[in-house]
Amino acid sequence: MTTPNRKTVNVFGATLTRRQLIAGGGALLVGFGASTKSAKAAGPKNSLDATLPGSWIEIHPNNTILIRTGKSDFGQGTTFTAYKQIVAEELSARFESITTVVMGDTDRTPDGSGAFDFLGRGTPNIRKAAAYTYQALLELAAKRLNVPKSQVSAMDGVVSGGGKSMTYGELVRGQQLKLTIPVSGDLTSLIGLTVTGSPPMKAVGEYTVIGKSFPNAVITSKVAAREKWATDVRLPNMLHARMVHPKTLGSKLVSAGEPDKTRFPNAQVIVKGNLVGVVAPTEWEAIRAAQQVASATKWTDWNGLPSNANLFKSLRDDSDWKSTRVSKSDKTRGEIAPALAQAAKKFSATYELPFMKHAPIGPTMALADTRPDGTVYIYTHNQNPQALRGEIAQMLGTSTDNIVVRSFAGPGHYGRSNGGNAGAEDEAVILSKAVGKPVRVQWMRQEDFQWSTQSPAAFSDVAIGLDAKGKMVAYRVDHYMPAMQDDRPVGAVLAGLPTMAAPNEKAEFIGSTVNDIADPWVYDGVATLAERGHGTYQIGQKASPLAIGLRDHSMRTPGQFQQNFPRELAISEAAALANADAIQFRIDHATEDRAIAVLKAVRDASGWETHPSPRANRAATGGAQVRGRGVSMMFRSGTYWACVCDIAVTPSTGAIAVEKYTIAVDPGIVVNPMQLKRQVEGGAVMGISHALLEEATFDESHITASDWRTYPILKMADIPEIRVVLLNRLEVGAYGGGSEAANALAAPAIAAALFDATGKILRRLPLKPEYVQAALKA
Amino acid sequence: MTTITVNGVRRDVQAPADTPLLYVLRNDLELSGPQFGCGLAQCGSCSILVDGKEVRSCVTPLSAAVGKEVTTLEGLPARWAKQHGLSQADAEKTLHPIQEAWIEEQTPLCGFCQNGMMIKATELLESNPTPTVAQIKEAFTTSGPSAHLCRCGSYTAIIQAVQRAGQAMAKAR
Repeated sequence: MTTPNRKTVNVFGATLTRRQLIAGGGALLVGFGASTKSAKAAGPKNSLDATLPGSWIEIHPNNTILIRTGKSDFGQGTTFTAYKQIVAEELSARFESITTVVMGDTDRTPDGSGAFDFLGRGTPNIRKAAAYTYQALLELAAKRLNVPKSQVSAMDGVVSGGGKSMTYGELVRGQQLKLTIPVSGDLTSLIGLTVTGSPPMKAVGEYTVIGKSFPNAVITSKVAAREKWATDVRLPNMLHARMVHPKTLGSKLVSAGEPDKTRFPNAQVIVKGNLVGVVAPTEWEAIRAAQQVASATKWTDWNGLPSNANLFKSLRDDSDWKSTRVSKSDKTRGEIAPALAQAAKKFSATYELPFMKHAPIGPTMALADTRPDGTVYIYTHNQNPQALRGEIAQMLGTSTDNIVVRSFAGPGHYGRSNGGNAGAEDEAVILSKAVGKPVRVQWMRQEDFQWSTQSPAAFSDVAIGLDAKGKMVAYRVDHYMPAMQDDRPVGAVLAGLPTMAAPNEKAEFIGSTVNDIADPWVYDGVATLAERGHGTYQIGQKASPLAIGLRDHSMRTPGQFQQNFPRELAISEAAALANADAIQFRIDHATEDRAIAVLKAVRDASGWETHPSPRANRAATGGAQVRGRGVSMMFRSGTYWACVCDIAVTPSTGAIAVEKYTIAVDPGIVVNPMQLKRQVEGGAVMGISHALLEEATFDESHITASDWRTYPILKMADIPEIRVVLLNRLEVGAYGGGSEAANALAAPAIAAALFDATGKILRRLPLKPEYVQAALKA
Repeated sequence: MTTITVNGVRRDVQAPADTPLLYVLRNDLELSGPQFGCGLAQCGSCSILVDGKEVRSCVTPLSAAVGKEVTTLEGLPARWAKQHGLSQADAEKTLHPIQEAWIEEQTPLCGFCQNGMMIKATELLESNPTPTVAQIKEAFTTSGPSAHLCRCGSYTAIIQAVQRAGQAMAKAR
């Protein structure tokens, strides 16, 4: 196949070998670099070899391009818009020429990782893969056009040089370049593989594709009812399943009920340890049979949770905060105790956030097919399919080579499954293995609230000192939060099958009880700073005979949400103590140009009236609405954010209406303005919902939130006017993240607005009417 | 066996008559528009039109659809074509103006709830093609069995899409 002119060169860390295939090789329909088939053959079974460029990008003889990414879409749209734009830009190709995006299938994508940080921290893998491929294209063009590489230019998928030009399709027809892309990391870990090296990237000033609002093609497919969702996947001989989960978060199985064969002739109960499931050929029979079996199943009692009413007292007094290493922020500096002691004015306070649910609009579901040859196929909607693959392999005691996860569209998970599972996946595998047929597990709404993970509750103690002029000279915070990342598949735990360890103080990174400082400090004008994070075990985890308790998982803006609320509300309080305007106070303590600019942008766009809080005409009593406004800011994943909320509160009822939400966003380079704007609007609404409504309540045995009435979220009638201001700063030279942060900014801004309107500070979420009403009366 | 009319076509279904329509539509008829969100008529993901009225298919038994016109998201283009006397060929080429508006406004985020949102919009705009923002909010919040919930927070984009669709539908009258 190869010709004698084979030659290897080094391309910015990658190695490049050119082979010329037999003439007329277009008929072989080879992708550029390597065909899928050869890529597969080079790596382990059911995997792509990430070192081969064809595992990432295929350029076809018909000028179409296919890209592959391990990152799944959960409504961010990034893989279908920004990633295509970035690849098109680095390849000097047209956006429209990228006709296929393969995403999240473990056997058909190269790099793994979760549905987070698509942009933001670091350079997306697919961008570097494209940049390497582009260099290879130029090498090939130099040969084909018979000019030096430096004289080759490319635009819109056409290479030119020496007075000749050809399309990429013509260029690659019959050619194969064996480019070796350098990668590092562990495919089935949280962050998957990383493409290394430093290929040259296109200069920002030459961008033609990035910065435009290209539409998301998957939106068309979903709106037109043409999309195949995970919920639509069916296999021959498939059985439907419903689970019978334990009575409490610590109940062990005494005896499983049997289905009434006269009513449910085709239903079958599967029991493995404390895992009970009911399968039947039709969904309706499975649902009804499971209900009947549940009523006949006996469990031990357990009441080892502190209950919601005692949450914060119990969290502070009864949790083990000593066994886990205390973390410190990088910016911690100076001697905090004397700085606070010498401050002219000071205050200290405690801030509290409840457990919240990710609450996807559709409960977790998965279809598993355990085949006689030992391979397992899982069809689902999971934020980290490669991590799921590793977890299922561990559960079954087999190699990851035998596990394939195929990804389909589904409801947003907001972080819940970015460690590899959401609940139904492992249960489907266990049941499928037991019956020897494909099994589709669909959780009901109540189970999805009661048996899924939650965003952990947290509290923080803040102390701030000001000098005589009102300048902030000392800031101390101690953040307390139980372990945030429990990636044990719950079905495997119930069934007594192997999993990773429960979160503990010895684990590194994932599964660690360490509470890292997640909220980067943005007020560098403060001389003395102490930021500490205290971690502990999940509530009830050690006491539960199932080792379950209140399992936690990262949720949109994880950790930073829990840390930014206390910080930003405290900064607003410090501004008030200084008798300063809350935005000006922030500007006066920030040193970064981008931080200051985003604050000024939100001030201008929101029509902010400069004055210290609370406002002169504040009122904490009466049946008339009183108005106020508050601000918050954040730096996350390469992006600066600032938000202003204008609210109206009725003191006699405690009801808060957010009337206007203004947000300024500086992600550096805006890749796709329309998609970013929609992400930010969505985050804004979710954040108001978090701030006003959301709390995963629990008693001594279980989570009591069970549906949309007991866990309400914001409704359309309650949304404010939302204004999004995008600051496109090309000079930053990087793409910051845009799908997180907005949801975390509302709470401290609303609480500050409540203070502005009423003169009362409420430091606990959610700001439900009964809490606000009682606090304003006090 | 039960016979029902779905998207203008008569379909024979073997499922028991008490089966919620959602499972019949998804499993027996392999329609993917309506989604299982809660099974409790609390979210709207499973919405369909029955004789032009938005209902929750997760709590509506198969028997309740007998003798009625069921329309799912898949059936919106044909519904629009029939209402406007478009030819079969034209009907197959077009989407409903509501679907077009949802695309132009890039409304969905994850999109799981949007079936119900577009069904609700159809019910609303067929009776009032020029609703105010307050009327849109009322329709999606208090007019039905429950508010239509979007966990991704796409409400602003939905309002903009409803207004855009209403203008297109009013023009086509």
